[in-house]
Amino acid sequence: MENFASLLHGFGVALTTYHVTLMMIGVLLGILVGVLPGLGAPNGVSLLLPLTFTMDPVAAIILLTSMYWGALFGGSTTSILFNIPGEPSSVATTFDGYPMARQGQAAQALTLAFLSAGFGALMGVILITILSSWVAKFALRFSSPEYFAVYFLAFASFVGLGAASPFKTIVSMGLGFAFAAVGMDTVSGGLRLTFGFNELLSGISFLIAVIGLFGIGELVLTMEEGLHFDGIKVRVRARDVVKTIATLPRYWMTLLRSSAIGCWMGITPGGPTAASFMSYGLAKRLSRRKDAFGHGEPEGVVAPETADHAAGSSAILPMLALGVPGSATAAVMMGGLMIWGLNPGPMLFIERPDFVWGLIASMYLGNIVAVLMVLATIPLFASILRIPFAIIGPIIVIVCFIGAYTVAGRPFDLWLALLFGVAGYLFKKLDYPIAPLVLAMVLGDKAEDAFRQSMIMSKGSLSIFWSNGLVATLMVIGLALAFGPALSTLASRLARPKTSSVAA
Amino acid sequence: MINRFSAEIATATLTAGLGLTAVIGALEFGIGWGDAGPEPGAFPFYIGLLVVAASAGNLFQTITHRHGLQSVFLDREQAVRVASFLIPMVAFVVIARLLGLYVAAALYLTFVMRVQGKYRLITSAASGIGAAVVFYLVLEVGFQVPLLKGPLEAALGLY
Amino acid sequence: MIKKTSWLVASAIAVTFGGMAHADWKPTKPVEFVVTSSPGGGTDNFARVVQSIISKHNLMDQSIVVTNKGGGSGAEGYLYAKVAAGDPHKLTFGTNNEYLLPYVAKLAYKPDELTPVAAMALDEFLLWVNATSPYQDAKSYIEAVKAKPESFKMGGSQSKDTDQTLTSLIQSATGAKFIYVPFQGGGAAGVQLAGGHIDSNTNNPNENAGQWKAGAVKPLCVFSPTRLQEGPKVTAAMGWADIPTCKEAGIPIDQFQMPRTVWLPAGVPSEAVAYYADVLKKVSATPEWKEYIDRTSQTNRFLAGEELKKFIASDDAKNRKVFEQEGWIVR
Repeated sequence: MENFASLLHGFGVALTTYHVTLMMIGVLLGILVGVLPGLGAPNGVSLLLPLTFTMDPVAAIILLTSMYWGALFGGSTTSILFNIPGEPSSVATTFDGYPMARQGQAAQALTLAFLSAGFGALMGVILITILSSWVAKFALRFSSPEYFAVYFLAFASFVGLGAASPFKTIVSMGLGFAFAAVGMDTVSGGLRLTFGFNELLSGISFLIAVIGLFGIGELVLTMEEGLHFDGIKVRVRARDVVKTIATLPRYWMTLLRSSAIGCWMGITPGGPTAASFMSYGLAKRLSRRKDAFGHGEPEGVVAPETADHAAGSSAILPMLALGVPGSATAAVMMGGLMIWGLNPGPMLFIERPDFVWGLIASMYLGNIVAVLMVLATIPLFASILRIPFAIIGPIIVIVCFIGAYTVAGRPFDLWLALLFGVAGYLFKKLDYPIAPLVLAMVLGDKAEDAFRQSMIMSKGSLSIFWSNGLVATLMVIGLALAFGPALSTLASRLARPKTSSVAA
Repeated sequence: MINRFSAEIATATLTAGLGLTAVIGALEFGIGWGDAGPEPGAFPFYIGLLVVAASAGNLFQTITHRHGLQSVFLDREQAVRVASFLIPMVAFVVIARLLGLYVAAALYLTFVMRVQGKYRLITSAASGIGAAVVFYLVLEVGFQVPLLKGPLEAALGLY
Repeated sequence: MIKKTSWLVASAIAVTFGGMAHADWKPTKPVEFVVTSSPGGGTDNFARVVQSIISKHNLMDQSIVVTNKGGGSGAEGYLYAKVAAGDPHKLTFGTNNEYLLPYVAKLAYKPDELTPVAAMALDEFLLWVNATSPYQDAKSYIEAVKAKPESFKMGGSQSKDTDQTLTSLIQSATGAKFIYVPFQGGGAAGVQLAGGHIDSNTNNPNENAGQWKAGAVKPLCVFSPTRLQEGPKVTAAMGWADIPTCKEAGIPIDQFQMPRTVWLPAGVPSEAVAYYADVLKKVSATPEWKEYIDRTSQTNRFLAGEELKKFIASDDAKNRKVFEQEGWIVR
């Protein structure tokens, strides 16, 4: 295999003391920005970018990608410990990671998250090693109808399950779609739902909603219950970490399935956020312990983390090959490539194989370095939870608001975060599910754009969604996932006398 | 004391209002299905209608199950605790708008530690100021991410 | 030290070194570069290249902080500049959308509420088709579109923005009718063309260069009064200079270019405007800037002062005509 020869050559390029040192610096910085309020991988990357102008491109991209891995891991840390997702793609990690932390299993949750994330990332890199040329060609087959079908698929696999009242699920989802529609509309070039407020011009940021609904909302609930985290004073021993590592093989099925979902969403335009939600949804559906999900089920941490990182690392390839960035971080890195004098695009693989394969090799090494380093930090992070609530509580509040402000530097967002916080508290107390709202906010406007672009292409005919094998297959799977469970529930309800579901 | 029934009614009314807002906002644009597929307002319009309808569904379910919903949503003690958390937080946001995030963070942490954690004033104040300084060093100096600043920073000559 | 003879530069440098006291303005705190696009966009690249050149050559005493305010197609950044009236430490980077956006969307700023500082480059537009399409020149492609109106798909970045304006110009100049499909950005429109999902696009050279090199798309003509600059061959047979102008190729559109512009808020001292114009002028004289221009195949053209005002007025009028014709203008 020609690819393996190139990869070995790549390892030769990446494996120097200088590069490994850069990886470690990058990962450490990444963990820092991932954990800190309001900073994320894009901030870290744009900060480091000017420093890399004098480096050679291989060293520069190694530093930046390592920071990216570090930031992803750091984002999972805050999701699990404080219910504050650092990156959109780690929202699904909060569903079970935070309950685990509250039950005193913070170390277990963190260990599982990091290991499965590392596993997912490795699967993603292996995929692009083997299939690099095929992946780039495959991605070219996607146009707006296929995009819409992929978003629909992600949505269908997540929504439609859960014990909440269907009306409440619809309200939550609909509000998410409505929030996503605020601001500039790509397809018509006009502003929507801004009601003349300048503050709403750039839309309602998804991150603000998440900080409010999850972070602040959770704190209000904690306060109402009386000022303490339950069972949080459990000591973290290194043995817990090792013990948890030994349990990982138990989740092999989830790991493989989630990696597959992640890789698929990474090379198609679904992206890491959609991948993590979809993977969580499917893990819950296929699990024998469905009811444990949402209450601290380890599989509910493994599934989204694996898919998130598998998608994140396999998405780098289409970015390099097509020149279309899949995320804000990727966009900044692409800007970096251009400033270093490299043109992302199909020719990069042919013109600069040393760069591309050096990067791929550094993705293997960088992830291993990152997993080892974050595992070592677990006792440190878990000990934060032993700080008395009267100190850590207000600090989390400050962190949430600083985070909300730094998203776009708009004072108005402070109020918005507060409002979302109160809404999050009410929704939780009244059993409105929050996840559909979050997913609708992430995918809503993209799905709408893709749908309307498709309609422009087909001059208003819906037949475009089964106009070729690829899009038709995606739509059929999506429809089956969306309506399959509903039909089977209906059948079983008809068979049995109905019971009240209001209080559920 | 608030019972669950009132809380459900209030929330459903609120969500219906938000749905209605989306509907009204969408009417400003076309909501039909033009030659090139749905017009810009169509999607928010129908989503808004859906939210209104589902909220109505919630209201209906709540009213028909009234007897089952007399449980306590928030008792007096809980309400006091929630208020003692929310009010300082609102004050934090107001002060942040007026005096900047750093000053607000220092005051807020000091207040909560002193009043709710019963720490000594000197400890609380030192922690508050210390936290603000750490945030400043990391964010502004380390990562060059500017936060909202007020008159104090201007007087100190910090940008 | 003084290399240039332009009075502006000469006086500004003299001022910088304390020669003439009357126009002594220098930034006294870090300067914020407000970018009216999200990270990775063309405007973002432009601002970051300027930033890297200023810091490399020490052209400014104060440090630079770059912030992205790309909401509402860039309107967020311009509104931010409006609110910062009188603050000469906020430099806004954009394109001609500063004065065009308010036509097509209801926005709370007027174009004259910002002070133009300089235009540093003109980005070019080309007509591209998929490499496997049978059309070898612009004329035959347009004839084919005319033969089957409203069946050829023209892709572009955003709606009612430069790409759609140009599409509209092509339509009225030739009588052809396209289906215009707006995508999130030029990169996406480029990939859609390479994948054969649309028939053509009007991407900037930079957005399609990689796909052209790889043999996935091919250029038919450039909307510029003269051919692009000579440079190394991009494919085996062709370089940028081998692409005919659209006028040569039979589309009667003389010129369609997008200026890369820099602005200050309203109410700033004219000395500050002169100071930044001078710094930017120096930037545009560095080899790194030349390299950026070449790499992105833009046209290097530095405009400031009266020249810039004239350029803006004529560009504004030209675009306004198209907007009126298409009925895009909101009141």
